[in-house]
Amino acid sequence: MDIHDAHVYLLRFLNELSTQFQRVPGSAIFLRYVKASYQNDPVRSAVELFLLLFFVRYLLAPKYSTQKQNYVQLSDEEIDELVDDWTPEPLVAPQTAFEEAENEKHPVIVGPTGPKSKLANGRTVMNLASYNFYNFLANEMLKEKAIQTLRTYGVGPCGPPGFYGTQDVHVKTEADIAAFLGAPACIIYAQAFSTISSVIPAFSKRGDIIIADKAVNYAIRKGIQISRSAVRWYEHNDIEDLERVLIKTTKEQARKPLTRRFIVTEGIFENVGDIVDLPKIVRDKFTIELKLRYKFRLILDETWSFGVLGRSGRGVTEQQNVDAAEVDFLVGSLAGPLCAGGGFCAGSDEIVEHQRISASAYTYSAALPAMLATTASETLGMLQSNPDILTQLRENTKAMRAQLDPRSDWVVCASAVENPIMLLVLKPEVVASRGLSAEEHDRLLQDVVDETLANGVLITRTKRMPQPLHAGPKEIGWQLQPALKVCITTGLSRKEIEKAGITIRHAITRIMTRKR
Amino acid sequence: MSQDKTGRRRRSSSLIYTEPPETIEQLSDQSALPNLNAEWVNAKGAWTIHIVLIICLKIFYDIIPGVSQETSWTLTNISYMFGSYLMFHWVQGVPFDFNAGAYDNLNMWEQIDNGDQYTPAKKFLLSVPIILFLLSTHYTHYDLTYFTINFLAVLGVVIPKLPSRGCAGDMGVCVAK
Repeated sequence: MDIHDAHVYLLRFLNELSTQFQRVPGSAIFLRYVKASYQNDPVRSAVELFLLLFFVRYLLAPKYSTQKQNYVQLSDEEIDELVDDWTPEPLVAPQTAFEEAENEKHPVIVGPTGPKSKLANGRTVMNLASYNFYNFLANEMLKEKAIQTLRTYGVGPCGPPGFYGTQDVHVKTEADIAAFLGAPACIIYAQAFSTISSVIPAFSKRGDIIIADKAVNYAIRKGIQISRSAVRWYEHNDIEDLERVLIKTTKEQARKPLTRRFIVTEGIFENVGDIVDLPKIVRDKFTIELKLRYKFRLILDETWSFGVLGRSGRGVTEQQNVDAAEVDFLVGSLAGPLCAGGGFCAGSDEIVEHQRISASAYTYSAALPAMLATTASETLGMLQSNPDILTQLRENTKAMRAQLDPRSDWVVCASAVENPIMLLVLKPEVVASRGLSAEEHDRLLQDVVDETLANGVLITRTKRMPQPLHAGPKEIGWQLQPALKVCITTGLSRKEIEKAGITIRHAITRIMTRKR
Repeated sequence: MSQDKTGRRRRSSSLIYTEPPETIEQLSDQSALPNLNAEWVNAKGAWTIHIVLIICLKIFYDIIPGVSQETSWTLTNISYMFGSYLMFHWVQGVPFDFNAGAYDNLNMWEQIDNGDQYTPAKKFLLSVPIILFLLSTHYTHYDLTYFTINFLAVLGVVIPKLPSRGCAGDMGVCVAK
């Protein structure tokens, strides 16, 4: 019978299986374990069995990566073909016609720069395009000191400050700046640009919060980006909006773990030319009071205001009667108005000492050349001992402004009255009536610069801020308005400044009224 | 730069929470240096230490007077599960400042082997609690109370270790704690 045969066969097979199983070493223990664990409790046994099965399945599962792997599998021939086909994109995009024309027309100065500079084409022009506010460039005493330092110390220290780079002159310059500002301590960096962009990431890390003015300069933007902090922007120089953002942030953070929080702003805004309302933040509603009330620290970039504002050039804190110690991080430049090089950050001892080991530009780049440090100390001394030069600079700035701001039909000066870097922007109605595109706007201003140069006055214009790669519209955000940049100097007499002002005004008018 | 709009926020309505994909900055900071916080699980002796610790725990509970074998096994089981939950699933980030906080959103389990699933280390780390659980239920003589306590403890560390294939490009999934 078929069924009977099958039954016998099955029994024999099971028998065989159990003898084989008993031969496996340890099978007795396994059987005992299973018998012991059953314990007349099928539910619990089922749970255990399920866990065991899951465990076995987990052990047998193949490894896989959770990173995105959307590669196409290619054969060797296909890879070769793709490599042959590939033509590299140029590292730099080809110049546009406008850029080409601009680069050809770049004025080249022969010999030392100064209030009057000789160009390569043999003409001598009034130079209103250098940050030579007090004409320290032409100061023989400074030159002599620098040469002396050069002979003693050599050109550069060739080592980072923490690694044999610090020399006595650096320590002296740090002490000089701290004493000048009335701050407890100060640290100097070798480069003005990288000062603020490494001070910010030295303190603010991922997870921390930065509240920044929308119009801050490119170095600050880079610092914020490197810090990986969450950033919130407030409307340019709008204390009300700052307070709104502070309240919103404080509310959001109330139940979260404590983070470091910073307000970042500038003394004189590089992109706009106006001045921060520090006392407003201090006295009755103003920034420092706000920062104390909402428990934020203030990072103030005084790159363009240190050596310019205040009775003796101590910057925005002196001008607005704020104690420099109330600003937690006071960052400034030694390169612009002081005609030396490098930058500094003044603050409490802890803040300064922390940077000596954790600010990247301080720990990883060579220290400031000794002659620049001595020059900075000297020019600081000159500002203190001779505050008349500041008055003279302001007189000259006023004289230039009188020629341009109310008198010109086309431009207004966006800069504050005390700012020797005058940013001239087209009046909004002019921009609106002409419907200027960004490129036309740039071209128009470049034509004004060229026309002014043709009449013997060298000025320049602001360049757009480079955008981050693949930036969406949200990241681009605030855009600076293209402007003409006129840098006032005390190296020219009042008469000469007025003459230059007239030249600039006429050049603007000629360009704006020409037939197109 | 701005993370406030990326929506890293848990929704209470859903039991399963999917990690949003990490930003490019996050990923590049993670790969800047090897993750010393998670690499040691593949080092020599990292597996043995689990067994050693369990034996030590067992001896410790055994020498306390008045503790029965059943309680001792259960306490060993619970202590190990609690410790490993704390270490692998509760604490996030890296205790050292190597990657500028790039791992702040990931716990240790998600950091191990760069988030790869079913790696030898992960298989080992899952098998230890399961085997310990089976041993302790056996030695508590399948008493239902002890079994329930031990089973809940093992679930607590097994569930967070489960992989999920559902979400592409994530560092695994983390079932609501």
